[in-house]
Amino acid sequence: MLRTIKPKTARTKRILEKREPQVHENVKQCLFLKGTSSSEILKLAVTDLNSLLKPHTKKFTKPNPIHPFESVDSLNFLSLKNDCSHLVLSHHKKKRPHTLTFIRTFAHTVLDMLELHIDPETFRTISQFKNKKCAVGLKPMLAFSGTPFEGPVESRFTLAKSMLLDFFRGVEATGVDVEGLQYMIHFSASDEIPGEPAPIIRMRVYLVKTRRSGQKVPRVEVEEMGPRIDFTVGREQVAEEAVMKTALKKPKGLEPRTKKNITTDVVGDKMGKIHLGKQDFANLQTRKMKGLKRSREERKAGEETDAEEDGGVEVKRVQLEA
Amino acid sequence: MPKSNSPSKLAESIDDGAMDVSTPVETAATNSSYQCASLKKYRKVVTVDKPTPYSFDLGNLLAIDPNPVPADADETAITAIARDAAQVLINQLLTTCDIKSTSDGVTLNLPAPSTPIPREKPVPEAKPPTTWEKFAAKKGIKDKKRGEGKMVYDEATGEWVPKWGYKGKNKDGDDQWLVEVDEKKEMETGIAHNARADGRRERKEKVRRNERKQRANERKAGKGGR
Repeated sequence: MLRTIKPKTARTKRILEKREPQVHENVKQCLFLKGTSSSEILKLAVTDLNSLLKPHTKKFTKPNPIHPFESVDSLNFLSLKNDCSHLVLSHHKKKRPHTLTFIRTFAHTVLDMLELHIDPETFRTISQFKNKKCAVGLKPMLAFSGTPFEGPVESRFTLAKSMLLDFFRGVEATGVDVEGLQYMIHFSASDEIPGEPAPIIRMRVYLVKTRRSGQKVPRVEVEEMGPRIDFTVGREQVAEEAVMKTALKKPKGLEPRTKKNITTDVVGDKMGKIHLGKQDFANLQTRKMKGLKRSREERKAGEETDAEEDGGVEVKRVQLEA
Repeated sequence: MPKSNSPSKLAESIDDGAMDVSTPVETAATNSSYQCASLKKYRKVVTVDKPTPYSFDLGNLLAIDPNPVPADADETAITAIARDAAQVLINQLLTTCDIKSTSDGVTLNLPAPSTPIPREKPVPEAKPPTTWEKFAAKKGIKDKKRGEGKMVYDEATGEWVPKWGYKGKNKDGDDQWLVEVDEKKEMETGIAHNARADGRRERKEKVRRNERKQRANERKAGKGGR
């Protein structure tokens, strides 16, 4: 493990403070790694994935003797050292060709892993699509199509959905510029049929173009931008339940406090409930009449009693200046 | 592309541009989900009909289409499915989110993401209170408001005077020409007490007490290494 450093300068102190657990977390950084052997296809795929995830990435190009399903120590170390909680390990072997292992970490220890094998025949890079590309660092729109992602039971596909969403969703934003909705990452998988090999996950990236339709919402057209990757699902390692539970915990005080007696109905109208209190009928102003007025003698008698009440004076002994 | 090609050769052919994809100019023209007679008509169609409705997580700009994808779907079919998803997602975003237009452009206010996604690091733990914070809580001492200065307003003279020090407000009682005699105290002690001198004595005593406490604290802290 990394030794714990005591900051010597204010700068290192600030850097270390940024790495500590935060209530509002930074965007998860993704680290691309190479296993013992890699392939050209993997190299191209990693380049393209890196360009989609920029600027929240780091890319290492030297081979590492890492076998994630045997030992996770070096992955934990690299996650801690680089402060990255997403790792993508690319390795190519005869038994598992063109493999990308997607790894998530929690508190710099491996949480879950999923192997996805790239189909080299159908793989296309971004540069192979000769069209305009979207700007760097935009928050993508995401879409998942197909029944396998929807399974009520946890499967490799629901894990893939959770992982791919986590990897590609980009910055957590409270608002988005309409101009920024430029591209969509689409994942689709056909039905799982028992007895047949598991369906492939097709990743397609499209530019989204809107046209006037004459109605309130525009007509949307898509144009493939690349990369086009077909993944076969390989081995997986799911998170331990207890660890996942702590990882899913939300810090207190993030949700806005609900205001009492204010509700929003289905249509979106704000409704308020007001308490008026009890009306005092004794002070109610009724119609004025001469006969109900107090007479002059009555009023005079009332004033005299008032004066008597605060007429007394308390006497105190005092000491004069010496 | 023959299957016998080794990966490196495949990559070379990618670099040569042999496998470049010509992007279809009008993807909508191949859209199979609309059986409209004229092309022009369905170009304006902004709704999508699917047997199972989509679900959304607008905080993540995510649309989920639970309808089955045919196993033999080709690129055009997948593009059509993706187009429908994009259309539905944009429809949902534009109809349910608050739209705010500023000089910089039009922004959509997104709701909080609803899909549970694990955190990167655990929720930060609250720091344990310091000795002073514990003591202050016990005694009910609250932080003085920031910006509260040394001067206070003297309503009698209508001037700003210092709270302490030369001509300080805490010396108010010292130069009164008329002071009330505390009979109770006089009875207890048996001597005629001077209220004017009392204030000064109290102040001096307070300072001494504070210094005593400070020395004690320093002695206590000194053990830890100061």
